[in-house]
Amino acid sequence: MEFNYGVMLVCLAFTVFIIGKEIQRTDKSRLIIRVLASILLGTSFALLILPIHYLIKKEKPAGELNYDTERNNHFADLNYHLKAHPEIKKINIYGYGLNSEELIKLKDFQLSFHPLAGPSGIISASWPMKIKASEQLNVQGIYNNTTHKAVKLKLLGLGISLDSVMLKANTKLNFSFSIQPKQIGKAIFNIVAMQGKDTVSIEPVPFEVEPKESISVLILASSPDFEYKFLKKWLFENQYAVAFRSQISKNKYNTEFLNRNVVNLNQIHQDLLKSIDLVICDEDELSPEIFKAVNNGMGLIVRKAGKIKTDSRLYGMGKIVTTPITSTYEWQLAGKLVEYSRFWSLLFAKSLRKKLESQSFEIVPQWPTINEKARLILSLSDTKPPLIAVNEIKIAPRQNMELPFVWDGVFWPKTVGWTNISINQKTESIYTYEVEDWIAAKKNAKLQHTANFVANQPKRDLKDNKVETVITEELSKWWAFIVFLATISFLWYEKRFLHLRSRDRTS
Amino acid sequence: MLNAEGKNWIIRFRLKLIVLYFLKALFFSLGLGIALMPVAVHLGINSCLALTIVSLLVIATIMIIKPIWKITRYQVSNYLNAKFPELEESAVLFLNEEQELSLLEKFQVEKINTVFPIANSLTTPLKKLGLSFFFLMMCIGVNHYLSFSRVIPKSSLFNAHQKTVKEHVLPEIADFTLKISPPAYTRKGTRLQRQFTLKAEAGASVAWHIKTTVPVKKLRIIFNDKEIVEVNSHGEFSKIINQPGFYQLELDGKKSELYPIEVIPDLPVSIKMIEPKSHTTIDIGQLPKVNLRVLLNDDYGINDAYISATVSSGKGEGVSFTAKKLNFNADFRGKKSISLNKVLNLTALGMKPGDELYFFIQATDNHAQQSRSDVYLVSIVDTTELMSMAGMANGVDLVPEYFRSQRQIIIDTEKLLKEQGVLTTDEFKNRSNELGIDQKLLRLRYGKFLGEESETTIGGEHDHEETPAFGDVKALMDEYAHKHDIAEDATFFEPELKMQLKAVLNEMWSSELQLRIYKPQEALPFEYKALRLLKDLQQKSRVYVAKTALKTTKLKLEKRLSGELDKIVQPTQKVNFENTNQSVEELKLLLAVLEQLKAGKLFNYGERELLKAGEKQLIIAAENEPNSYLPALKSLHKLSIATKVRRYDIDEVQKAIQRLLGVETLKPQAKTASPEINLYRSYFNHLKNGI
Repeated sequence: MEFNYGVMLVCLAFTVFIIGKEIQRTDKSRLIIRVLASILLGTSFALLILPIHYLIKKEKPAGELNYDTERNNHFADLNYHLKAHPEIKKINIYGYGLNSEELIKLKDFQLSFHPLAGPSGIISASWPMKIKASEQLNVQGIYNNTTHKAVKLKLLGLGISLDSVMLKANTKLNFSFSIQPKQIGKAIFNIVAMQGKDTVSIEPVPFEVEPKESISVLILASSPDFEYKFLKKWLFENQYAVAFRSQISKNKYNTEFLNRNVVNLNQIHQDLLKSIDLVICDEDELSPEIFKAVNNGMGLIVRKAGKIKTDSRLYGMGKIVTTPITSTYEWQLAGKLVEYSRFWSLLFAKSLRKKLESQSFEIVPQWPTINEKARLILSLSDTKPPLIAVNEIKIAPRQNMELPFVWDGVFWPKTVGWTNISINQKTESIYTYEVEDWIAAKKNAKLQHTANFVANQPKRDLKDNKVETVITEELSKWWAFIVFLATISFLWYEKRFLHLRSRDRTS
Repeated sequence: MLNAEGKNWIIRFRLKLIVLYFLKALFFSLGLGIALMPVAVHLGINSCLALTIVSLLVIATIMIIKPIWKITRYQVSNYLNAKFPELEESAVLFLNEEQELSLLEKFQVEKINTVFPIANSLTTPLKKLGLSFFFLMMCIGVNHYLSFSRVIPKSSLFNAHQKTVKEHVLPEIADFTLKISPPAYTRKGTRLQRQFTLKAEAGASVAWHIKTTVPVKKLRIIFNDKEIVEVNSHGEFSKIINQPGFYQLELDGKKSELYPIEVIPDLPVSIKMIEPKSHTTIDIGQLPKVNLRVLLNDDYGINDAYISATVSSGKGEGVSFTAKKLNFNADFRGKKSISLNKVLNLTALGMKPGDELYFFIQATDNHAQQSRSDVYLVSIVDTTELMSMAGMANGVDLVPEYFRSQRQIIIDTEKLLKEQGVLTTDEFKNRSNELGIDQKLLRLRYGKFLGEESETTIGGEHDHEETPAFGDVKALMDEYAHKHDIAEDATFFEPELKMQLKAVLNEMWSSELQLRIYKPQEALPFEYKALRLLKDLQQKSRVYVAKTALKTTKLKLEKRLSGELDKIVQPTQKVNFENTNQSVEELKLLLAVLEQLKAGKLFNYGERELLKAGEKQLIIAAENEPNSYLPALKSLHKLSIATKVRRYDIDEVQKAIQRLLGVETLKPQAKTASPEINLYRSYFNHLKNGI
């Protein structure tokens, strides 16, 4: 800037000097023309040095850009390139597509997507991040085998191979692993894909096993029998809270309280049932009070003779399971404890009152990756703003516009592996993946997402569409040079010939 | 032919030279090859192969350097000239043709000719041959010595078959030997081993002898991580091994790794009965003898075996038992395997028809361990019982007509046999044939139950051989659908019952055959067997409960449930489950802690406690099964002290813990609902209340 002003000052001084010279000349002929020429000379000289910019409106045909997400493009950054080339209105995306953040930035462009064939490997997988002790861990997914060799998928965990499956060549197959993890706490299992002796990929499967929670059960027996006796014992040994009442005579009951405090069971009322998760009883023991409690979410297992099968149905907010099977204790006696446990666990799972959690969360994307943006979506039981911290760094929550109990926050995971997040002082764990982990699944997700995004874009016709743009252009220096040359020639000519001639004439 | 003798001699001499040279080369190359054999063994190459290759190479080299077979007669003669002055440089003359010789040369030939054959002409080559032979012998000697010196450390005391296990020995230990003296019953000799991993017979005495490089104040052996013993100043200690487990050495506080102790137990004698079957029936007509064949096996030796037999006779309350001990007349003398034969003579045991013999075999091995076989049963059929009408008089008679018929056939057969002496042959044959016809009719009647159609087969197996007419769909289908299987009579009996009925028919078949060929005596056993089987069948299909009379007092309905109950106390019990055994929980938590270790997190205090608890349990497991749990225990030790953990060790420990945990039964769990359920619930409530 200073340079420009300097140039201007110098040129001004020069112009003033030559104008002064012209005026001072004794021969005053063509003075005005000479002064004008001098001004033009100074100005054009300045313009030779200083650039002149001006704006111009131009119409250009809309441009297209080919963008390959898997290969290096001729520009470094897509957004930067688009800003530099405003004529680009259409982008042809090749490869596996873009993630949602990047796609949103391209929403004003006409996009067309030319996806690559689906990536080879595990293109989708899911499993629960948390399971309860003794529950099965189910890992399910799809493997896309584009190679000409069969692939063996193995689930490895805690030092041993737990399950495996063979996948034929050139197929896309669903796989499912189901195992009972032995640990309590966090663990990382691995799904290993092998082709012969070559390892194709190793994908981590992080999850957490929570210790089992206590369940409060009330058993109402119209008469004592073996079935209840064994069920009671089984529950007692597994440390569940059991209240047991069996009628021994008219209004006379035998009561037992296992792993719990003593209450009066002579009258079954709502206050009592509120703390009970499940009632197991004979048909004769059913009462309106029980049904009312079931309506509010309690579970109920009824032993009903004469039925053919065990079934489950909804009743209000609760569930009722009816079963005609009254001699499962024989399985226990026969040593079939595994079958016994499975049967009763199933009945319990079908009927038990659901445990309400005060908060639950979800991480988007499915595979939060190191140094990539992740979003924590939180559901709360109230609408107070939650305190969220990831690795003790606080995160600002944002409330959902429609659902006031849903909040979200954005963070960038910095370390691979388990990360602690605290939500309202409760510590939870999330897992951050390496960039290479689940790469096929990530690619597939991107592919699906981009395809969806492109398909849902409003259609725009860009055939022979002209784009009007305002462009800054620089004035060519030649103009200044021509003016400079013309004025200086004139001044020289005037002085050399016209001035001399007139002097000659006067002399 | 003046020079013929000399010429021939020179030619023969040349051949001899060549042969001797070849032999020399052969001896030399063989010698070199043999000398190199131990080297080849050391390098792990097949010694014979090395021998062949080296010998061939050497012999080829020698032949290339000096191709002896190319030697000409003239060269030989020059050699002779140089060697023997008496030839006067004239040996060549013998090789020339006589005609070509000048007169002077002829004279010379004549003169020299007398010299041939030259005595001791082969001395030098023979000497050389002798030298090469000596070289060969030397090489054989060296080879022998070297291979011997290799074998020497493996004296008979060392167990050559024992697998060497890779183990880490403390650097302070200069040398050690373990002397395992198996107990007497194994009849095995004492053996020495130079490895700490121990595999010994139960009851074996093991003596450690440990030499250290530096003097140590305290040398101790720790068994199963709890039993500590001091080794005396000579580095000697001995112990009798009865239990599997593991041990480690401790030199002035420095502990070695864990070495497993495996115990080879002495198994009791295994008894394999080849004959008879578990249940044998002696039918009428059969000899009351049972062949007994049994195979006994033991890992060290059998001392004794005998048959313990019990005869039960009589029926109902009058049953009586007599026990007997029968010896095998066999020489055991501690044999490892023996095959025994014995014929049980039932009459000698005092058995009558209707009696039963129960027996088993008891064997003792040389360690006084006893084992016994299953109980086998032999019964003699009581014909009088079979023929009696008891059981039919009760009026529950399924097939009385047929049943009586079989009985009748037996009676008739016996009658026929009795009358055989008075009857003519024709009549005897005729009656026998008639009985055969009766038997056939009876068989056909029973065959109906099985859906039997033809007279020649048993049990309804029949072919459909007619070729169906073209286009006859039904006939075609018949070929594939066995229609009789769906007919009603096919489900008439249980499969088991059917099987038995088939067996009855089989016996009837045989009896009929014998009757038809006029041998009623031979038919009788089959007839009896058929009858017995029929009776069994009859008993099987007859299950009923005897009627009993019971009278109850009449209820007074108005008095029901009207008793006074106010004094009856309601019993109440309160129990809390005391979980004293936290081991499973601890192991489960330890699994997760180890999982964190994989990610590089170090132990904190609480986790170290868990590690200790896990170690305790692994020690107990390793005591019982050192082979499967000791590696894990070693790994756990490494994990607890090492600053840098190896993934392999963690996996090893986790594997062992998973094995310890075993199968876990399912426990009921409540499903969890996330907070958004409140929204659904309020919607539900609105719906309910709105209507």
